[in-house]
Formats: sequence, structure tokens, C-alpha cells
Amino acid sequence: MSGFTGTGRALDAVRAKIAALETGGRGDPASLSFGEVSVDRCFPGGRGLPLHRWHELGGEGIEAETAAAPAAFVALLARPLLKAGPAVWIARRDDLHPPGLAGLGFPAGGLIEVWVRDEAQALAAAEDALGASGVGAVIVEAQACDLTAGRRLQLACEKGRATGFLIARRPFGGGAPGTAGGSAAATRWSIASAPSQPAAGRPGLGAPRWRASLERCRGGRPGAWLFESPGAYSNTEIQDDAHPLRLVADLGDRQLAPAQPARPAIPFPVGGDAIARRRA
Amino acid sequence: METSRGTRRLAAVDRSAAALGLFAGQKAADALAYVPNLATAEAEPEADAQALLALVDWCVRFSPAAAPDPPDGLFLDITGLAHLWGGEAALVADFRRRLARNDLPVACGVADTAGAAWALARHGDGASLCPPGRQGEVLDHLPPSALRISEAACAQLERLGLRRIGEVRRLPRSQLARRFGLELITRLDQAMGEAPEALAFRRPANPWFDRLALAEPISTPDDLARVCGDIVERLCARLTAEGQGARRFELAYHRVDGRPQTVEVGLAVGAREASRITRLFLPRLEQVDPGFGVEQVTLAAFEVDTLSARQAALASEPAAGGGVEIAPLVDRLANRLGAERVWTSQAVESHVPERAVARRAPFSPEPPARWDPARPRPIRLFRRPEPIEATAPVPDDPPVQFRWRGQLHRVRLAEGPERIAEEWWKAPIGAVSAAHVRDYYRVEDQAGARFWIFRSGLYEAGAAAKWWLHGLFG
Repeated sequence: MSGFTGTGRALDAVRAKIAALETGGRGDPASLSFGEVSVDRCFPGGRGLPLHRWHELGGEGIEAETAAAPAAFVALLARPLLKAGPAVWIARRDDLHPPGLAGLGFPAGGLIEVWVRDEAQALAAAEDALGASGVGAVIVEAQACDLTAGRRLQLACEKGRATGFLIARRPFGGGAPGTAGGSAAATRWSIASAPSQPAAGRPGLGAPRWRASLERCRGGRPGAWLFESPGAYSNTEIQDDAHPLRLVADLGDRQLAPAQPARPAIPFPVGGDAIARRRA
Repeated sequence: METSRGTRRLAAVDRSAAALGLFAGQKAADALAYVPNLATAEAEPEADAQALLALVDWCVRFSPAAAPDPPDGLFLDITGLAHLWGGEAALVADFRRRLARNDLPVACGVADTAGAAWALARHGDGASLCPPGRQGEVLDHLPPSALRISEAACAQLERLGLRRIGEVRRLPRSQLARRFGLELITRLDQAMGEAPEALAFRRPANPWFDRLALAEPISTPDDLARVCGDIVERLCARLTAEGQGARRFELAYHRVDGRPQTVEVGLAVGAREASRITRLFLPRLEQVDPGFGVEQVTLAAFEVDTLSARQAALASEPAAGGGVEIAPLVDRLANRLGAERVWTSQAVESHVPERAVARRAPFSPEPPARWDPARPRPIRLFRRPEPIEATAPVPDDPPVQFRWRGQLHRVRLAEGPERIAEEWWKAPIGAVSAAHVRDYYRVEDQAGARFWIFRSGLYEAGAAAKWWLHGLFG
């Protein structure tokens, strides 16, 4: 018995040492809880999304180029962080539509948008923004981030106490976003839109849903979940304490559903209730 | 040479021609008869005007208030500046020496009023200083043409035997005004300092201006950076002492060949921290071509405003300060990438999605308009809607499937239509057409991807409906 507790203590000590190494010696790994134990426990210390780090998110298929689902997901992830300061969104393309962010409850009126010319400028601007004081979140759309650039972003995060989100997005007509080899990101996610579930009797689309799979997590373990944004596209006041993403299902260890479900998987509705029409 | 009233006349003569007895305004035929090998060139009034403006710009090294006086003169307001050169005489000497080095002959006059200075420059000995308050005595000996009056009035005065301003001044004012009009009286009063005169300065007189004269011309990048830091520190010390901050700084390196090289930085919020402003300048200095050397540096601050009040407001609400504490970051990015590449979006009251967003400079006041969150808008809006092949069996229904970028999407759920018509009041009424009406649908495909598609135009039997994809919800 005593031997067992001794082993436990030794293990705890080793874990603490590893955690110290991974946080670069800093004591307080700040984090943002998702409000769900089943999600939070996959992250270091079981406390939720680590802050003052940077996170990489991407999509697959056409999303690798349009990056709409990752952008929407990032907007919701970053929303609670904006109490500390405004967000900076750095991109090479100017197709971000702030009214869409506003629909997700993101304070788009205070967002600072930066339109850069190339990859190098995007990463340099992101590093600058992360290192500045008073920034709540930095969102950068870039094709790839190699280890050196990633490490620089991480150092900037630690200096400026900001949280970064890198949306892996390939340039128009270019190759796939290269995440070759390792990455200095704290977490890496793959985001895809998921079919919404309208409330019974309500016409139209339900609250937007995303299938988020945590592919890599420093000091944590991977996971996959189905999230929903219950407050999206409504006039209701945003509740500050609740996380904007609500867990719908834990896709956990199960095999992820394929990106393209077999054709007859869901009966295709023609006319009827599902296609609702709202005439002005 | 110029053509006036059908006659070719000499517009200007150079020194050697003047020595031969030629003068401006002489008939070209007469002049060629006197000097058969006269070298003539066509007069270029526009080029002369431009050269004058360039000279006025150059004069900013002496005073920030310089006004052109076409066709061939300029005014410099040197009030309170002479001590920088050690007196007005030294200033004039320096001015003449620098222009002489560029082979520009110049005549100057210094007086309390612009009118008296003009008279002294044109009719004095070329470097006359009028002691303060004594322009009357000086002007009395000059001819009436020194008063900037029309040629006709001048000729009439001479015909009456009035050859000195002093003689004109002794006449009763009412008779002068009746005989020669108000112009003569006004000009006389302006020269004496009894009537105000407005000069159109090339740039507004700016009290936030500093200059640094260098003992020797500099040209190395390190030196340029050092003097930049020095002069920014000087001006910022003044700004700090008076509780002011500026939003724009213009640094000019004056080269020995007289061509100023200017660099400019803009700030999102007024500032006066010397180190921060210098850091914004430093990457720009590589654009400066020092040529044969820079002998003087000037720095001007614009959009100067009280800064202390704003900072007091900041301290009282540290968290919700509108994000002004990240102004240094915005300045760095805007100066590195270009001011048009860093912006904040604001809502515009328009239903047309492309027009619902306008860009404004960060930290500028936000308009009261808001985007309605209950109207779903995509997170990615394509600049140009992309055509899709849609299958819509019922005319006014959303499509059951569509093909976009070669991929087939089966519509699982749809919402709409939201009809958005063009803003007919913004275009000529003839250009308004029902074909510009768009019926927007928010659709979700089997995989869960959400799209914003629209059908353009109203339904017409027989004509195929045109469908477009305008954005993605993600």
C-alpha cells in the first residue's frame, strides 16, 4: 500500500516536472473552461483551453481553402477572451464578413482587421500583435507555420499574455496547408460543420453545429466533440458566464463519422416541413 | 519671350542681356534689332509657378510659414525666428548665400509688414532691413510702384508728379480714394501696418515644429537615425511640457542640394513618447536618399490635441478603455503595412450585403448603426458571387441540390427567402431593374456545411433561374 502511494507521489512529481517543462517554467497555466468536464479533462490539468498559448485550427476538403467553419469556431472560442482587450484578425484575403461575426455574438465593432500581403507578413504581424499588451486574442490566417515561426509565436504569447489562434488556410488555388512535422502549437484542431437540429416544429435551420476534433494537445490527450452555438443569430443578450459553445455529444473514442456520409443516410426531404419558407 | 496682345515681347532678361540694355516687356523685334545674336526661349509661366512653389517648400527650412507671391516673389514670416540665426541680418545673409549657391539671384527686404517688405525687396538695395515700426520713413523715399498697385494707377500718379510715396502720403486720404479707388489706400495702409493683410501660406503655420541644424552634412544611416531620435526627443519634450499629443509627424531631411526628403508617420491615437515615435520612423529612414549630405532636419507635428484628458479617462476604466492601450500596436502595423491595411469595420445602414460594411480607422468614433444579429449573415462573403448550377423544381422554393466548384451539395435544410432589392434611390431610375432583385436562402447540405445562396431576378416562366453562391456560414 505504502509502495503504491509512493509510486503515485513519484508519478505526480514527474508530472509536475513535465508540466513545468512544457509551460516554460511559468507557474500559472491560465485556462478557459468549456464548462464540461468531459471536454476540459482532455486539456492539461483538466482545466480547459490553455491561455497565453497559440492554437492551430484547420478544416478539410474545401474548408482548407475557404476556412469558414474554423473561422466561426475560432470566433466562438475567442469570444470570452475579449473582456481583456480587443481582437486582432490578420489575413491575406479580405473575405471575412464582420456581420457574420456579429451574428455569432462576437463584438465585431471593436475587431481590428489587418490585411497582409504574404505569409511572412502575416506571421510577423501575428507575432507583433501577440507580444503587445492589451490584446485579447490574435487570429491569423496562414498557410503553415514551421517550428521556428511557431516558437516565436509562443514566445510572443508569453510576453504579451495574449492567446493566439492560427487558422490553417491554403491560398487560392495553392497546395494543402502544410503541417509537416511537429508544431509549436498548444493544441491542433480540425473543425467541420455538422448538420444542425432544428427544434421540433421550428422551421429553417437549427443552431449551427461543428464537429471539432482535438487532434493534438500538448500535455493533454486528443478528443472529438459535437458543439453547438445556442445563441447564434438571435437578439438575446449574451450571458457572459456561459461558454458560447455548448457540448452536444461526445464523439470521444468512437470512430469519427466520415466527412461525406453515404447518400441515403438521412432521408432527403422534399418540400414538406424541413424546407421552411419565411416570406417577408 | 511671350506673346501679349499680339506682340512678341521679352518676358524676362538675364544679367548679360540687361547689361546690353534689354528689358522685360521690350518688343522682341526691337530687341533682336539691338542684339541680332540674342538667344531667346519661349516663356513657361506654369513651369515658373512650379519652380516658385518648390522654392517656397524649400524655404520651410527657414520658417514654417512661407507664402508664394506669384509670379516671382515669396513671403516668409520670420516672426520670432531670427534669434535662431543670430539676428535678422544673419538670417538674410544665410538666405542669400544659400540661394546664391544655387545661382538664384535674389532681392530681400525685411520689415514689420508684408507690404513694406515687398517694397524694400523690389525697390531697396536688395538686402534692406527696416527697423521695427519705422517703415514709414523707409518707404517715403521709394516710388509709388513699390506699393503693389496696378500699372494704370502707378502711371497716373507719375503723371501727376507724385514720384515718392512720401508725397502720396501727404495728400488728403479722401481725395486719394476718390481719384484712385480704394486699392491705393488699402495698399498704403497695409504697408504701414494700419490695415490687416492675409497671406496665403503654403502650409498652415504650425507651432509644433522644430529644426536641428547640423555642423557638417551627414549621410550615413546611423547618423540619420541618430538625428531623427534627437529631434523627435526635442519636439516630444515640448509636447509633454504642454500636455499635448500629436497624431501625425513629418520629418524632413534637408539636403545640401536643397531638395528636402520627407518621411511621415501616422498614429491611431495622439502620442508624445519619443522612443515610440522614433521606432516608427526608423524603418522608414531607408527611403531617405541623403544625396551629398543632409545639413538640416526639421520635424513638424500635426493634429495636435490635448492628451492628458484622454489618459485620465483611461485610468478610470482600465478594462473597457476601448482598447486604446493597443494603439502602439496599431501604429506599428499601420506604418509597416500601410494605413489602408489596418482597419475596424463599422455597420452601414444598407440591406445590400456588400454595402453593409465600411472600414474606418481604428479608435475613430463608432457610428450608432449596428448589424442585426437576428439576420444571419455569412462569415465569409465572396467579393463576387460564384455561379452555381441549382436544381429547383418549384419556382419560388430553394433548390434541392446545387453544384458548386464541381461538387454536388444536396440541400437538407433551407431557410428563406430573404428578398434584397437594389437601392434604387442610389442609381438613375432608368438603370433599376427587377433583374437586380435577389432572393437569399440559407441552406445546409447533408454534411452540415451552411451556404448563403440567392436567385437573381424574379421568376419568369420559360427562363432558367440564375443561382449564385454568395457566402459561407461555416
